[in-house]
Amino acid sequence: MSGEVIVEIEGLVNRVGATVLHRGLDFRMHADEVVSLVGGSGSGKTQLLRVIVGLKRPTAGTVRVFGVAWNDRNAKKVRDARRRIGMLFQNGALYSALTVFENIAFPLRERGGLSEEAIHAIVHAKLAQVELEPRHAELLPANLSGGMVKRVALARALALSPELLVLDEPTAGLDPDRSERFVALIRRLREEQRFAVLMVTHDLDTLYELTDRVAVLADQRIIAFDTLEAVRQHEHRFIRNFFGGERGRRALQPGGAGSEWKAAPTH
Amino acid sequence: MADTAAALAIERLPEGPARIRVTASGRWTFAGMKERRHQLAQQLVELRREAPGRVAWDLREIRELDDAGAVWLVQALAGAVEIEVPTRYAEMLRQVSEGMLVPSKARRFDPLAPLEAVGRAAWGFGAHLRDATALLGRLVLDGAGLARRPREIPWRELSAGIYRAGVTALPVTMLVGFLVGIVLTYLSALQLRRYGADLLVIHIVGVGVLRELGPMLASIIAAGRSGSAMTAQLGVMRVTEEIDALSVMGVSVPARLVLPRVVALALALPLVTFCTDLAALAGAMLVSRFTLGITPAAFLEALPRAVEVVNFWIGIGKSAVFGFAVAFVACHYGLRVLPNTDSLGTGVTRAVVASITCVIVLDALFAILLRDVG
Repeated sequence: MSGEVIVEIEGLVNRVGATVLHRGLDFRMHADEVVSLVGGSGSGKTQLLRVIVGLKRPTAGTVRVFGVAWNDRNAKKVRDARRRIGMLFQNGALYSALTVFENIAFPLRERGGLSEEAIHAIVHAKLAQVELEPRHAELLPANLSGGMVKRVALARALALSPELLVLDEPTAGLDPDRSERFVALIRRLREEQRFAVLMVTHDLDTLYELTDRVAVLADQRIIAFDTLEAVRQHEHRFIRNFFGGERGRRALQPGGAGSEWKAAPTH
Repeated sequence: MADTAAALAIERLPEGPARIRVTASGRWTFAGMKERRHQLAQQLVELRREAPGRVAWDLREIRELDDAGAVWLVQALAGAVEIEVPTRYAEMLRQVSEGMLVPSKARRFDPLAPLEAVGRAAWGFGAHLRDATALLGRLVLDGAGLARRPREIPWRELSAGIYRAGVTALPVTMLVGFLVGIVLTYLSALQLRRYGADLLVIHIVGVGVLRELGPMLASIIAAGRSGSAMTAQLGVMRVTEEIDALSVMGVSVPARLVLPRVVALALALPLVTFCTDLAALAGAMLVSRFTLGITPAAFLEALPRAVEVVNFWIGIGKSAVFGFAVAFVACHYGLRVLPNTDSLGTGVTRAVVASITCVIVLDALFAILLRDVG
């Protein structure tokens, strides 16, 4: 695990009402690696993502992303750090009143400094990257299928060439074939452009195919944070259920979706 | 990774097809090019002037490339005789140059556009009328069905609707009614005192409030409060697919969502109107006491003689019709909302405007039909 530290969390405490979601949580992530966050439902995975991207202010603890704390007084520094993050929301969160083209062009226009011609070229390049065609550019989000919404949202998240891509359940709501293609797409994009990925996922296949390191969130903190193989040896009840269940074993079997990973465990 | 900004090194060659060799180096990203933008643009202009079409480009020194850098380079590379590209950036440059080739949608001038707009508007109006008629028919059928099976009447929703549209609307409508009563009495009193016809103020204010202003004020406020809320509720239910979920479960959307709202407002608005009438008359009494010296007791004694009671009933009856109209128009617009935020906003605006217009048109109709009564 080389590269600079891009996400650094120390002693995070998060309280929602009377329940404590995180207590003394530590987390570190490096540039150019793919980290998956797993945990039971209600364990606060999405809340942790929201803390990392600065949508939620933690009750206590320090959070630094690209070396910047979200409550920094220097607004420009915070904004520049935000622009180094692309986020793919679970349901896409496309602007429903804007066309596909306008949705992807939006972050580029907000940043400024590019001609309309350059924006046009970049938007169409992004559309091609996520395997959409120019004729899709004028559609409204309401007219897109679920898989297309995800791909447009991915194109929008990648518009500013982020160094950290945050994915909240990237394959939720996609059929197995589509989610496989979506995972392959992310993998291909990562070969072309270098960016780190932090994702929340329940999908074991996605986990096996993309991840460098797995962070397991349970008991209000990260109980294990290592390569997939090392995490699987862990004795915690949640980990045994998560990877030891029928689905987990099947995905790991030779010939299953995880066979590719098995053939080359070079992490 | 050194923080080297984007740079171009220009080297003149003595011979060969290319006269100039340009080596790009550093970080060709949006941030890396930002401070050098003017310098880079100037260098490019010079290159074009000095040796158009005879430039060799070497991109192998580039440390980092993003889309903004790729667009700049692709534009600069046009007409180069020789380009050396590292393989890891070849794909990105290709994608961006293909993106440039996609024709942007030309917005050409169409002389028939106004005609088309008129046609579309007429068509849209026709579709509105058709849908509204269908909804009305559906409501009548569902209402008749419920009348035969009183067990299925959604009592809870009905009572919640009456509470929301009626009880919670009282403070604001009564305040407005009280103030309008004061204003109306003041103005009439000023005029009437000149002719010494002070007592006629009770006639004017009584008929005006009970027959016209009470129902109108109540329904206009209901259109703004309850009507907009109904459109927004149904619109959001459309966006979140709740309406589709109801249909799939075999629940009639007009019967479950529209009928209770329409009936609730038609029942609640007469009650609101009654309270508005009371507040307006209280305002009138107050002003009469201080400007004309008519005591409240005298006011109350003169009122039944001045104003026939049928005027009051006309006002109450009208407000039931207005309540029906406001809720019906609001629900009609709510069901037409498309699943996007823009449509929700315009839907609510149009619903309020249309329901107020509808109320005023109906009021004019009543005024003509009932001109000989009261």
